[in-house]
Amino acid sequence: MAPPAEVLAVRGLSKTFPGVRALDDVDLTLHAGEIHALIGENGAGKSTLIKLLTGVYRPDAGEIVFQGRKVSFATPLEAQKAGISTIYQEVNLIPLLSVARNLFLGREPRNRFGLLDMGRMNREAEQTLSTYGVRVDVRRPLRTLGVGAQQMVALARAVATEARVVVMDEPTSSLEPREVETLFSVIRGLRDAGIAVVYVSHRLDELYAVCSTVTVLRDGRRVHRGRLADLDRLSLVSTMLGRDLGEVREEGLTKFTGEHGAADAEPVLTASDLTVPHKLHGVSLSIRPGEVVGLGGLLGSGRTETAKTIAGALPARSGGVTVAGVPLRAGSTPAAIRAGISLLPEDRKSEGIVPGLSVRENIALAALPRLSRFGLVSEARVDSVVDTFIERLRIKASSPHQKVGELSGGNQQKVLLARWLAMNPKVLLLDEPTRGIDVGAKAEVQKLVDELAADGLGVLLISSDLEELIEGSDRVVVLKDGAVVGELTGDDVTEDKLMRTIAGNDPARDAGKEAAVDG
Amino acid sequence: MAEAALRTAPLDRTRLVQWLQTYGVYAGVAALLVVNTVITPRFLTTENFRTQAVQVAPVIIVALGMALVIGTEGVDLSVGAVMALAASVTALYLGYGLLPSLLVVALFAAGVGLANGALVAFVGVQPIVATLALMVGGRGLALVLLPQLKDLRNPSLASLGSGDVLGVPYLILIAAALALLVAFVVRRTTFGRQLLAIGDSRPAAQLAGLPVRPVLIIVYVVCALLAAVAGVLATARLQASDPTSLGNLMELSAITAVVVGGTPLTGGRVNIGGTVAGAVLIQLLTATLIKHDLPPSWTQIAQAIVIVAAVYAARGRGKR
Amino acid sequence: MQRTTHRRRLLARPVVVSLAAAVALTATSCAKSEDDTSSDTKSSAAADAAQKVASPAPGGKACTVDAYGGAKLDLENATVGFSQSEKEANPFRIAETQSIKDEAKKRGVKLLTANAQSQFSKQISDVQDLLAKGADLLVIAPLNSDGWDPVLQAAAAKKVPIVTIDRKINATACKDYVSFIASDFVEQGRRAADQMIEATGGKGEVAILLGSAGNNVTTERTKGFKDRIAEKAPDLKVVFEQTGDFAREKGQQVTEQLIQSKPGIKGIYAENDEMGLGAVAALKGAGKKAGDVEIVTVDGTRNAVQGIVDGWISGVVESNPRFGPLAFQTLDTFTKGESVAQDIVIEDGAYTSGNAKSGIGKAY
Repeated sequence: MAPPAEVLAVRGLSKTFPGVRALDDVDLTLHAGEIHALIGENGAGKSTLIKLLTGVYRPDAGEIVFQGRKVSFATPLEAQKAGISTIYQEVNLIPLLSVARNLFLGREPRNRFGLLDMGRMNREAEQTLSTYGVRVDVRRPLRTLGVGAQQMVALARAVATEARVVVMDEPTSSLEPREVETLFSVIRGLRDAGIAVVYVSHRLDELYAVCSTVTVLRDGRRVHRGRLADLDRLSLVSTMLGRDLGEVREEGLTKFTGEHGAADAEPVLTASDLTVPHKLHGVSLSIRPGEVVGLGGLLGSGRTETAKTIAGALPARSGGVTVAGVPLRAGSTPAAIRAGISLLPEDRKSEGIVPGLSVRENIALAALPRLSRFGLVSEARVDSVVDTFIERLRIKASSPHQKVGELSGGNQQKVLLARWLAMNPKVLLLDEPTRGIDVGAKAEVQKLVDELAADGLGVLLISSDLEELIEGSDRVVVLKDGAVVGELTGDDVTEDKLMRTIAGNDPARDAGKEAAVDG
Repeated sequence: MAEAALRTAPLDRTRLVQWLQTYGVYAGVAALLVVNTVITPRFLTTENFRTQAVQVAPVIIVALGMALVIGTEGVDLSVGAVMALAASVTALYLGYGLLPSLLVVALFAAGVGLANGALVAFVGVQPIVATLALMVGGRGLALVLLPQLKDLRNPSLASLGSGDVLGVPYLILIAAALALLVAFVVRRTTFGRQLLAIGDSRPAAQLAGLPVRPVLIIVYVVCALLAAVAGVLATARLQASDPTSLGNLMELSAITAVVVGGTPLTGGRVNIGGTVAGAVLIQLLTATLIKHDLPPSWTQIAQAIVIVAAVYAARGRGKR
Repeated sequence: MQRTTHRRRLLARPVVVSLAAAVALTATSCAKSEDDTSSDTKSSAAADAAQKVASPAPGGKACTVDAYGGAKLDLENATVGFSQSEKEANPFRIAETQSIKDEAKKRGVKLLTANAQSQFSKQISDVQDLLAKGADLLVIAPLNSDGWDPVLQAAAAKKVPIVTIDRKINATACKDYVSFIASDFVEQGRRAADQMIEATGGKGEVAILLGSAGNNVTTERTKGFKDRIAEKAPDLKVVFEQTGDFAREKGQQVTEQLIQSKPGIKGIYAENDEMGLGAVAALKGAGKKAGDVEIVTVDGTRNAVQGIVDGWISGVVESNPRFGPLAFQTLDTFTKGESVAQDIVIEDGAYTSGNAKSGIGKAY
């Protein structure tokens, strides 16, 4: 019995975008019938690698050997024709065409007049799909199917086009548990048919359920490759996050100073049982005045969604938020803002700043009604607010009239902070407040968060930077797959415990304590 | 020499484009004024300027509303239909007197604006599709209400169309007052700034707690009301209500004025001065070609050239 | 997400439509326009404005029922189908349809009517409908000249004679259709020129307000006018030709420019009444007096004829929309088995200061 053939070999792949080395000398080998997990946090280079494999980008350096031949795909279509298919989160088929037409798109059976043989197409489509456990009327438009079924059609199509490699990018993000099971059996079927699968997901359970091998990327480099069974969850998480287990870290690497907030004060914000379909499953948390509560978890665990739901930007199916004991009208950003909740969104460039407007207008934006009389803006009041915050936050702009889009990331973030501080908020929700900003600005922002908490604000801090999360937070609530799986308080707020909780091992048991977490 | 010129060319071009972005439309107006002074007999007369101003006034008024809508990254194709609707409703209710009929016109226009705004803000239909529906439906309604041209003899309406104060026709005064008002709203009011923020980045505006939907609806209502004013004034000037042809292609004239005036279609910026100048530019261009009896197709070609030039100058000024 | 918005959109459509219908109903129910008291009685004036054949066309080709290949029948017991092209939103179309209806009533003929609302595909199906409903004879005001084959075949199969009015169709006369009845637009241009020459004394500069570009009416009315001027009054110069798109407002705007740049203009030839009335509005606005500029227009609508009475318009050449009597007379003659001309030019009247007052009742 010969070892399975090598289907795809990637050697020394590199790709640089202006200012960012997205992928740096990465190797990847796939064998027939291998289900390979590709994991990494934000910016690790997963999507760049996938896009290089499927012809969306061209590599700067390195080579891709597919079925023994060096290849260079100019377009995704070329890659697909050669036998590398990609199934994206959003199904990339044609929603208005029938299921059968989608399945046979580009290789439709013809009758002897050269016309589409619809009868044959429908029959074969029905047959093919039934092997995937999908039993639907194949004449219906694709969009009438559920997302799971659509994904199956995409998969069936990929297999039918004689794919040798199937890349799946977060295929389960919008599936129901039952659909996930079907998907898994299909993936195992692919494996048995000798197809290599690259499986990208943040859900550790899924990885361990279907994958045999794993590649971990971090900061554009491959930091691990091996059999998944040889790596327990904790090691996987620590490899991914780049933290060694048990390593005692020197404190004071960040500008956070530590504890604040009275432990017995009434919470300024409580969120209970927040549920958003496919995203959050009953998340509850509370923040006391002067307290910084960290929100931990991997990418896709529901951190951003939790913050957005609290801020009214994401409609919850159930659950509620109270501010200082007063229930908040759900799903309304203005109501949340009036109640004193401010959200610094993760995607600063597209959801935070208004790039074409000036620093001044951006700072005054949310507070405009307060700075106006009878709908007329009082320029004097705006100026005084703007000047105060430019000075207090040390915003570096050529003038208050400079466009915010022209500022550095750190200054943009400060402008956003100023916008919210001008509203005198009770609670600040900070989603990745220091991502993509330079070291100096980062320290300033961290110091500011500390000061604000000391002034009595409740802060929810979301950060992929473990140091920042650990040192900045008084308490860390850990999310996994949209649910709270643990809460670290006091001396338990350490990287080690955090990673154990994220990995799903019971940190209490490991530490020999009795506290029960998980749900 | 030649080499040096070549090397500086790119720099000069960038500077030229930048300059054109800001002052191009005014320079165009100035150039046309100078050229006409030289080549067109009796150009420098009060009557001539009054004629041009009176003809361009309705276009300016419609373009003001269009500029606001474009500032929110939208577009309103129904303005011409609203003009026609205003014309037929005026005729239909003039029996009650001018003022009552104008009130009914305002109601109808607000209704169209509300429908546009609701489709865009609540249902999430793209502005071009939503207003296209009202463009077809609005004119249809105008023709149902008044199937054919009708002469109007109401003296108040007549004086609205041809009267003046100290030699300045009402039409010009109204257009100027509205332009100042809209410019003031854009620059100095909460509403104006919220409008620009929404046009520049709707997700950011939403997360900043701005009343995105109310602002969008008000913008479309204001645009429809301004179009109705233009429709009433054009009707008053003609002393006849002509729902079949009044306002035909007005949406294109207004969009042209806005774009030529330096307001990007990508939203987030509204240039009222430029919009007025843009309308004047097209008016002068048309007038020049008509006065010199050049074939009508030339007017269209000339307009196309101006639009291409404006879009070229706007390149790189927009968000992308 | 996408799906839900789509569904909402589908839902919104009927709501919008029914809302619009409701608006139209309520709006008209309490409307009160200026002259509601003196309600319009325009159509009744049609009776005495019957038309005649301008040129019996002695040399022209004729057609008989034998040559066409049909059966004789008695018009009084027949059903006539009439297909109108444009919606009845202008005086010409209104008068045209009314004239057909009036004549059918007068002769006691059963008439079926349809209006294509300016959509050619609708007109084709309209005519097919008329045939299906049992029309024995057809009168068609075509929207286009081309694309009539399916209809002609259907009509030929049923041996239904067709008379086309005001616009010709590209097909063989006396095979695909019987006769074509229309005005001669070139002749209208010539007669307008005659009026202009008389009004201006044959000297000076005149302007033309052209109709819509690319329209045969525009080209023919322009050709007739220019040819006649060149031939009879070489001292009359056409110094300005701009389009007014057959619309009043556009006519007004162009005339305003004209009198600014050419204050010495002596006459304006407007290729339809609406543009001519726009020109009058422009002259009034510029403070001119009636008669300062001679205006000659074509069509013969009531407003234009009133303009002559008021002194602002010098002459109006009629383009007769009352095809009813002539169309029915042609059908009658034809179905009796007698010969009819293939091309019938109807006589257009003319209005001048001499007959405007008395003739205004005839205007449409």
